[in-house]
Amino acid sequence: MKKLFFLISILYASFLQSQEKFTISGVIKDKSNGETLIGASVFLQKTSIGAVTNDYGFYSISAPEGNYQLVVSFLGYKDVVQQISLKGNVKVNVEIEEDANILDEVVITTEKNEITNIKAPQMSVAKIKMNTIKKMPVVFGEVDVIKSLQLLPGVTNNGEGSSGFNVRGGSSDQNLVLLDEAIIYNTSHLFGFFSVFNADAIKDIKLYKGMIPANFGGRSSSVLDVRQKEGNNKKFELTGGIGAISSRLALEGPMFNKKGSFLVAGRGSYAHLFLKLAGEENTASFYDLNLKTNYEINKKNKLYLSAYFGRDVFNISNSFVNDYGNLSGNLRWNHLFNDKLFANLSLVYSKYDYKLNINVLEFSWLSFITNYNLKYDLKYYLNDKFTLDYGVSGIYYDFDPGTISPTTETSSFNLIVLDKKRALESGVYVNAEHKITDKLTAQYGVRLSSFLRLGGQSLVNYENDQPLVYNELLDLYQPGVSIGETSYDTHETIKDFINFEPRFGMAYQLNESSSVKAGYSKTTQYIHLLSNTTSASPLDVWTPSGKFIEPQQSNQYALGYFKTLKNKKYSLEVEGYYKTIDNVIDYIDGSDLIGKNYIEREILSGESRAYGLEFLFRKNKGRLKGWLAYTISKAESKTPGGTAGGLGINDGKWYNAAFDRTHDVSMTGSYKLNEKWTFGSNFILQSGRPVTYPNAQYSYQGLTIANYSERNTSRLPAFHRLDVSATYIPNRKPNRRWKGEWVFGIYNVYSRKNAAAISFAQNRETGNNEATRTSIFGIVPSVSYNFKF
Amino acid sequence: MKYIKIVTLILSLFLTACTDVVSVEVPFEGSKLVIEASLDWEKGTSGNEQTIKLSLSSPYFNDTAAINNVTGASVQVTNVNDGTVFVFNDENNGDYTTTNFVPVLNNTYSLEVIYNGETYTAEETLYPLTGINNILQSVEGGIDSEVIDIEIFFDDPADEENYYLIVYYEQGDLFPFLDDKSDEFRNGNTISDFFEKREDEDINQEPFEAGDVIEIELLSISKEYYEYIRLLRSQTDGGNNPFAAIPVTLKGNCVNITEADNSPFGYFRVTEVDKLTYTIL
Repeated sequence: MKKLFFLISILYASFLQSQEKFTISGVIKDKSNGETLIGASVFLQKTSIGAVTNDYGFYSISAPEGNYQLVVSFLGYKDVVQQISLKGNVKVNVEIEEDANILDEVVITTEKNEITNIKAPQMSVAKIKMNTIKKMPVVFGEVDVIKSLQLLPGVTNNGEGSSGFNVRGGSSDQNLVLLDEAIIYNTSHLFGFFSVFNADAIKDIKLYKGMIPANFGGRSSSVLDVRQKEGNNKKFELTGGIGAISSRLALEGPMFNKKGSFLVAGRGSYAHLFLKLAGEENTASFYDLNLKTNYEINKKNKLYLSAYFGRDVFNISNSFVNDYGNLSGNLRWNHLFNDKLFANLSLVYSKYDYKLNINVLEFSWLSFITNYNLKYDLKYYLNDKFTLDYGVSGIYYDFDPGTISPTTETSSFNLIVLDKKRALESGVYVNAEHKITDKLTAQYGVRLSSFLRLGGQSLVNYENDQPLVYNELLDLYQPGVSIGETSYDTHETIKDFINFEPRFGMAYQLNESSSVKAGYSKTTQYIHLLSNTTSASPLDVWTPSGKFIEPQQSNQYALGYFKTLKNKKYSLEVEGYYKTIDNVIDYIDGSDLIGKNYIEREILSGESRAYGLEFLFRKNKGRLKGWLAYTISKAESKTPGGTAGGLGINDGKWYNAAFDRTHDVSMTGSYKLNEKWTFGSNFILQSGRPVTYPNAQYSYQGLTIANYSERNTSRLPAFHRLDVSATYIPNRKPNRRWKGEWVFGIYNVYSRKNAAAISFAQNRETGNNEATRTSIFGIVPSVSYNFKF
Repeated sequence: MKYIKIVTLILSLFLTACTDVVSVEVPFEGSKLVIEASLDWEKGTSGNEQTIKLSLSSPYFNDTAAINNVTGASVQVTNVNDGTVFVFNDENNGDYTTTNFVPVLNNTYSLEVIYNGETYTAEETLYPLTGINNILQSVEGGIDSEVIDIEIFFDDPADEENYYLIVYYEQGDLFPFLDDKSDEFRNGNTISDFFEKREDEDINQEPFEAGDVIEIELLSISKEYYEYIRLLRSQTDGGNNPFAAIPVTLKGNCVNITEADNSPFGYFRVTEVDKLTYTIL
């Protein structure tokens, strides 16, 4: 009770202070193209009053009457100082200029009360500027947002050419990936060789590895928040690039008498073309299209429309034709109620579909997931000590797990339509950022989420409520005995879940250059990607929680130490985390998920845990910039038999997750030699992926059969690789609009044969057992040309 | 044009993942009994002659040719429906044979093996098979439309769940290719299954040519055995690739009732089989 009283009095004190204050609010934009800037800091010099711009470039701060110097600063931009004589509420929109000569970055000489990452309670965030990403060496010179993120601590993937990414020991379906708020269900092109994000269309990326703010929900490990550019609203601009794998073209410019702007960006691979010329009948290609437009109705209202469409197409001798991809659209309405209250209403649509025509077997397969999301988010800048975010969100899902159709009259396949599923996921949240004292800032909030698994389908009832039964005699899990079905009407709810998800973070500033932060978040994940393979594949289908599948519950604790050195020339971040996730789906030995209506007969519910320590040392300024990241961590799973009986999967013992990496070191740097040449380099060293090796062989059915040991007890050899790149900007005439640059790269410089897999099989020629290593990329040189007009 | 050719060459060099044979240390946890009890009743025969093979498992990289045959075990099969017992004679080479087995469709059989003082048992039912209707040879079919493939056809009964094992063996090869089928998506239809060999220099494999002789077997199997063989097949194709499930121990239907932890490998199956030999035209 005392605590509550204390809390209320603090809150009350915060409200009291709002008297006799005026508000400065506005939008911060890039001077060259009018793009709003996300995360720019705005503060009043010689005070502790300041704010960071939101996702739409908006800020609002309150201060007592007086004369101030308003400073706007943003990494990579020149600081802007503006005199403000505050006698009433004012609007201050500022356009800031990119700092071309970033080498001698202007450092504000006066005392800088900038809200730095030291003070903000938000922790466990990975951010890389798009400019940095574009200069990193990458395979085939194909700029890749997700691969770049993997150079930061706590982010890995299952090796070259595997889709998705893993955050702090979480599986790839535990990442909420949002492109302009739309859920992207598959982040990879060509099975993971490339990501779906076209760097030319992206403005900002932020990865929350933990302490996920309350406005996000629905996934247990992370949130990747990607925002598309709005388009240049000052002049028409054409940017593009020609690379070894794909070409890109983006057109942007002002619209509606400069009250709006648009961006259209396209990217297409031509690997298929080359393969065809080489006399191959097999083709693999991808393309994507990004669209964005906005219109400012008046000072208080702005509309945004954004869309994404991406596809992959595979064709193997016409006998196997496969195409799949994401489609999303988002209509948003920004409304400013007053100088302190900013609101955004979004209507979002996302779809992922997967089509497969196996002409040789005369059937086709189609599955998809669609969702409609309506959300309303508000941000209330109460006073200089208190900001409140609150809102509601509702997502309606349609799951179509698959339809098998015969493609010819002679096909041996029947038409089979798997049960369609429907669900409604909603959330209400409130989150406060509260400056309790000058040194202590807290962020606390809660998300109340609910999930209704809607009817419109039948479910099987099982004897003893056991969809899966342990056969003690044979030591096997087998399907339960069906005792009829229950049919649910479309207006019925099959099952509902409600969860209370507290989120908390605090930062305590030790001195001007260092702080400690702590965070806790609980998140719930209601939809699950069914994937029993080591790495998720594009064919995997999503399934909702319901009668047989409980929602995943994740609890994460993090503690960190943050320090800047030598006037922010260097920074050091150290974070430790411990994460547990309950109700994680695990797959019984020999599970078969493809085309299965009754997934409950193939799965058990388990738990996973991950813990680790992450170090990130960055050099932020000077000719040489970059970072060194090191993570030591552990990620494992355990799945007991539960209601099915028996010990469970792997005899109920903890086993290493496929994405467990004990050690993970990455070093990345760029060196600007002069105006013409910039060099970049990455070095990666990490423990090999846990794998299962054979522990015996025997003869059966004329074959030599391998027997396998317990799950994931062995490891592939360590993975390491060095990449280099050089960017060359030819002599430019200052007035010429055409600006070009060449990017040369060498991926895997010393051509290490990193094992993506080691498989065991009997050689058909010799009859001997062999271990075969598959390595994806040897040394890969690349050249690409980028231009701007 | 020349430029494109060079780029093509570079791409084709790098786009194909490369594989090589490496040496790896693997664990070994002691030998276990392997029971290969496949009582297959060939259509048109009496099915009286049957062989059961017993051997021991060995370290993974040991010479595969040296199979550790098990002798001195006692092996018998009982028809559970009528109580008839069939005793298998030790041939002292790992084979245990009988010449008076009586297969009866839809009857259940039990196996008993006593070895080293431990008793192993299993049970399985003999399901009927319709048989191979037809076989076709073409070039256009199959995954690779430039090599010869063969395709077999058989009728699936509509009233029940059916499971099949198909074995393709080209004479002269070291071992066969397996395929498994269920009627899950094809119930009551004429089911087809194709087989082709693609060129593979690494293992000296050539596509079919005229004169090649292929032995084909179609077996009716139980659902449990289908699950077993499906897993066996997917794991022998080489596990551990990122799009494969974690490989696991294959658990058959034979149980060690004396020492449960010392469970055997292998399977006791009783099937009806249709055999066909086809010469490529």
